[in-house]
Amino acid sequence: MRLCEKEMNESIINTVDQIIAEKGITSNAVIPILQAIQEKFNYLPEDALKRVCENTDITQSQITGISTFYSQFRHKPVGEHIIKVCVGTACHVKGALQVYDSFKRTLKLKDKEDTDKNGLYTIEKVACLGCCTIAPVVQIDNITYGNVETEKVPEILDDFILAKNNTETSIVKTYQNNSLVQGEIRVGLGSCCVASGSADVKNELEKTLANNKIHVDVKHVGCVGVCNQVPLLEIHKPNMEPVYYAKIKPDEVKQIIQTHFRANRLIDRLKNQFFLFFENMLVENLPQTVKRYASDHRDTPIAEFLNGQISIATEHRGQLKPSDIEEYKKKGGFNSFLKCIKEYSQDQLIEIIRQSGLKGRGGGGFPSAIKWQMVKDAKAEKKYIICNGDEGDPGAFMDRMLLESYPYRVIEGMLIAAYAVGAQEGIFYIRAEYPLAVQRINEALAICRQENYLGKNIQGTDFSINFKIFEGAGAFVCGEETALIASIEGKRGLPSMRPPYPAESGLWDGPTLINNTETLALVPWIVRNGAEAFNQIGTKNSTGTKVFALAGKVKRGGLIEVPMGTTIHQVIEEIGGGIANDKQFKAVQIGGPSGGCIPASLSATPIDYESLEKLGAMMGSGGLIVLDETDCMVDIAKYFLSFTQDQSCGKCTFCRIGTKRMLEILEKITRGQGVLKDLEILEQLAESTKKGSICGLGRTAPNPILSTLHYFREEYLAHINGTCPSGKCTELITYSITDDCIGCTICAQKCPSDAIPLNPYKKHEIINDKCIKCDVCRQVCPEKAVLVK
Amino acid sequence: MFLSETQCNRLYTNEIAIKRMIKLKINNIETQVENGTSVLKAAEQAGFKIPSMCFKEGYSNHPSCMVCMVKDNKNGKLFPSCAIAATEGMDIITDDDEVKQSRKEALELLLSDHVGDCEAPCQPSCPANMNIPLMNRLIAEGKFAESLKVVKEAIALPLILGYICPAPCEKACRRGQIDSPVSICILKKYVAVEDLKNETFYLPEKQKKSNKKVAIIGSGPGGLSAAFYLLKLGHDCVIFDKNEKAGGTLRYEILENQLPNEAIDKEVEVLIKYGAKFQFNTNITKEIFENEIRKNFDAIILATGNYEGSVIENFGFESGKSGININKDTYETSIPGIFACGNIIRSRRMAINSVAQGKIAAESAHAFLNGQTPEAKHRMFNSKFAKLLEEEFEEYLKESIPENRVELENGKMGDFSMEEAMLEAKRCLHCDCRKIDNCKLRIFSDEYSADRKKFDFGERKIIKKYDQHELVIYESEKCIRCNLCVDITMKNSELTGLSSIGRGFTVEINIPFNQLLSAALTKTAIDCVESCPTGALAFKK
Repeated sequence: MRLCEKEMNESIINTVDQIIAEKGITSNAVIPILQAIQEKFNYLPEDALKRVCENTDITQSQITGISTFYSQFRHKPVGEHIIKVCVGTACHVKGALQVYDSFKRTLKLKDKEDTDKNGLYTIEKVACLGCCTIAPVVQIDNITYGNVETEKVPEILDDFILAKNNTETSIVKTYQNNSLVQGEIRVGLGSCCVASGSADVKNELEKTLANNKIHVDVKHVGCVGVCNQVPLLEIHKPNMEPVYYAKIKPDEVKQIIQTHFRANRLIDRLKNQFFLFFENMLVENLPQTVKRYASDHRDTPIAEFLNGQISIATEHRGQLKPSDIEEYKKKGGFNSFLKCIKEYSQDQLIEIIRQSGLKGRGGGGFPSAIKWQMVKDAKAEKKYIICNGDEGDPGAFMDRMLLESYPYRVIEGMLIAAYAVGAQEGIFYIRAEYPLAVQRINEALAICRQENYLGKNIQGTDFSINFKIFEGAGAFVCGEETALIASIEGKRGLPSMRPPYPAESGLWDGPTLINNTETLALVPWIVRNGAEAFNQIGTKNSTGTKVFALAGKVKRGGLIEVPMGTTIHQVIEEIGGGIANDKQFKAVQIGGPSGGCIPASLSATPIDYESLEKLGAMMGSGGLIVLDETDCMVDIAKYFLSFTQDQSCGKCTFCRIGTKRMLEILEKITRGQGVLKDLEILEQLAESTKKGSICGLGRTAPNPILSTLHYFREEYLAHINGTCPSGKCTELITYSITDDCIGCTICAQKCPSDAIPLNPYKKHEIINDKCIKCDVCRQVCPEKAVLVK
Repeated sequence: MFLSETQCNRLYTNEIAIKRMIKLKINNIETQVENGTSVLKAAEQAGFKIPSMCFKEGYSNHPSCMVCMVKDNKNGKLFPSCAIAATEGMDIITDDDEVKQSRKEALELLLSDHVGDCEAPCQPSCPANMNIPLMNRLIAEGKFAESLKVVKEAIALPLILGYICPAPCEKACRRGQIDSPVSICILKKYVAVEDLKNETFYLPEKQKKSNKKVAIIGSGPGGLSAAFYLLKLGHDCVIFDKNEKAGGTLRYEILENQLPNEAIDKEVEVLIKYGAKFQFNTNITKEIFENEIRKNFDAIILATGNYEGSVIENFGFESGKSGININKDTYETSIPGIFACGNIIRSRRMAINSVAQGKIAAESAHAFLNGQTPEAKHRMFNSKFAKLLEEEFEEYLKESIPENRVELENGKMGDFSMEEAMLEAKRCLHCDCRKIDNCKLRIFSDEYSADRKKFDFGERKIIKKYDQHELVIYESEKCIRCNLCVDITMKNSELTGLSSIGRGFTVEINIPFNQLLSAALTKTAIDCVESCPTGALAFKK
């Protein structure tokens, strides 16, 4: 036993020593070191942390502070598999908490337990997996399940075990070098496409094509944006309009291909006339759920979805292979940057940005040119540039998509900005929750170094710079510039008072330009097409486009890029296709936890910085969650508050305690225990938290409360009077069965709490005392006979 | 300096900037400060005091407490004055309603997350507000004389009350939740008994003689108490009583087997030694009152007992349902210079109430005699929480002993031995805060009249006490997370030090890897305790 422990200790010590040798001994290496330790052990063993303190400049106090601040780090061993239940906004409004509870029930976990008895699963809530269009979403290890229903949880666990034991053999690569290629099939491989099964579709295609010697490129493109129709196959052949095949399920593809490619005769034919045949086959044998559209059909959901959008940050969307630099260059990539370093002075460049009217897309909307000018004017030996990809808003995945799909565009934007301000070092700050983005940027950076777009004397000029990646460790507050800098410096991500602004004194006290990913992605286009081309899009004060993650109760969700000033109505009705399931449009939540809810009556509002702020909302980073009549606005406010409260760094009083107290008041109200006086205290506290917090997180955290109090006060009052008009707040609702019940017993069989006695062929009843309001009965009832009031 | 390191570096690299003077307006008054001065210091230099808790000279602190909020008059925005440097042309407001409201709300939020007592619960539940925990600690150390001094600050007749007081303090005693309350009442009697064994018993030093004379009518608990404190304040007093001996209801209504007359005699003897004059067998008629007492005395204290049916009824004082009308804060009657205490105000109160009122009436009379208007005694802000949770018993017992209450055979008629008294006193849990007099949270909460219950919506946190250190005790739930101690241990290169653990509302300051407090604070203990704005970090003694 002792020996065993000793061996274990030695193994920890050896591993830690290796990690230290790789990451360095300076105190700012602390986060990368911790990430590496966790990568090895799945958690942070105390002995490992102590070893780090012994052999580096990192102190006990520092390592304790850091490892408990960032939510990525775990201090206890976890189960073999990790179940991540996404509780992002889109998932929340589609019942994520009920899904979470269902997992806990299925795994027999008590109140605070997170790991099952056998140590097989550990369950955790995660802020946002960025798959909002297929909400609710659950990720078990690397397998993502979308559109999860509460009652399907046991099935999902079974499926996971099956999938785990059935690991696919290695996948045949694409046939890019084959001379007989007659076209290409594009498969979107953004995170959400993958979550919807596109990787499997792609694997099946490649395998089948290879086995049958069909020469065609299967191209992995970045996010297509049409997240509502994925997995999406695009067939491109010479001289013909592309054809889309939407919503293909992997097993359907498998079935189709297996059925039709088995015979040799068919394969021979395929060799010559693949496309026509392939197409016909797919159409003939298309399972009912699969939709086929030609791109020139204007009235298809895809065309409608794309109509009204302008692609700047997402230029060439669905066409580029993310890490293919040649292709990026062919489409004009890096031309803007080359033009800048060869033709423009720093001031000329900043002037272009000024005239373009570009404002920061991270939420605040600060004019980019002013920031650039400040950094350029600052006198210092060393200046830095940081790409802020710490997108933590639940319900937002724009940055992730841009980094995954257009790594070179973001790099180019960053190079241009670096040149404009005279930065000598650049950092990509990317959430560790976005592994694909990290991987793609890493690949792209390596290629850029090879091709001398990074490094010394770039492209034969005097300009030299290098970029590296810093992986955020899970703290929403690090989206705030000063907190982000603190975190790179190896500290707890606490914001500090400005001034001084990072532009004057930022990373390592050097002048630092921090721009959001989307902002940087817009820059190459602006330089290439001119300031005027950009400022003619959008409105006078909000120029250009904005990328939004459209999700929630809309028919067609996805990633959209629209001109500033597009109205809420246009986005929801024209692009989104209106509200799903014949429900009534109630409100749209814009800007995530910093934003607000805008009621349906104001849907003519143009989406731009000024208009949104006037209504008490905010552009935020671009989450756009559509809410229908079944969504409770008090619950929405409570949802966002519980997020910000959880993400508060805990430094200043108003944010640390104020958000907690506001949440408690909302909880009291949604339990039906609120009194009128509570609203008064809530409103006052919301105002003082807005005024009294240090950073943007605290200053905007009350927005969801204030905007819902403003537009939906009657819902708060209804709760105080004991009812939840939308039937959401579990403490205020009851489930019952109507006369439509046919006595099929499904509900009784599925009820996890035995609240419905089995009563074949007769009307069933729900015993309210036993009902845990998990919603399973309503979901499974074939007659829609379960009533929630 | 208040500045962040970055700010400092910037300034030190620019010497010209350092010497420059900055002009700004604070509360509409033009002022000049050296470049680099924080708004907090600039305001202080201009004579405007701003409350602040998390700021310490020499530390580059992120502002956290938000109590030093001021307003930028140009844009109406609030900001923490400790963290922003004064700049040319600033226009700052430090004291308008919005600023004050914001500070008050910050304090109220901090209070909602501050689990601790300022005064131990026993003290405010004692009508005389005696400092019971201090008395207990002195007894536990065998310092009986000192302990009696503490008692006599609040209670003039500890021996008498030791027999008859129903001890509301013991009902509030937190130890009662664990097993049984500390036997406070008998402990108090013990120190009185010990004192009276001496030939020269304790007589507090008197203030300078005022040459003023006060008449006290009635020698019950209220009258005797008033006399004691008036004498202490330097006045002469004469106590009139209709009976032949002093004590009033104490002597004539309470049975000998509850309160021996000998005890009354002893404490009357103390008063006589102290200088009180008694005039017994004197019925104060209205005529005597008007013609002699009011003429010959500078102030009068009425302590005649029950109002109903007494001669006072036709003296012409304003009266209500239960007795004579008085100012509830100062015990002044409707006639200036005449005060009242005890049952004459409201009958059938505990003797301890009369004793407590006697002291207040004496103090009001003192103010009156000095030509001042008697004022309500200010009761400082008091943080408190409801019951202990079961898991907290152990934490509280860390500062106590597990022994059961010492029960005497004959109850209140009995006396402790010295060993018993010391043992019983050691059972006290030290609920009172060690920084009761210099806790900034208490001082500012008092100044801003903060309501500690305003944000009382959720469950409170669980109290922990870390006492494994020679000098220091750390009570984590009194901490306001200002992080000063963390910065101090870091700056002084403590090997272990203290650390912020966790994030957001659940963040707490604690010791890395669950080590002992003695490992965390080796060379910085004194600095940390002195810098801690609350009672979270305190010296054990």
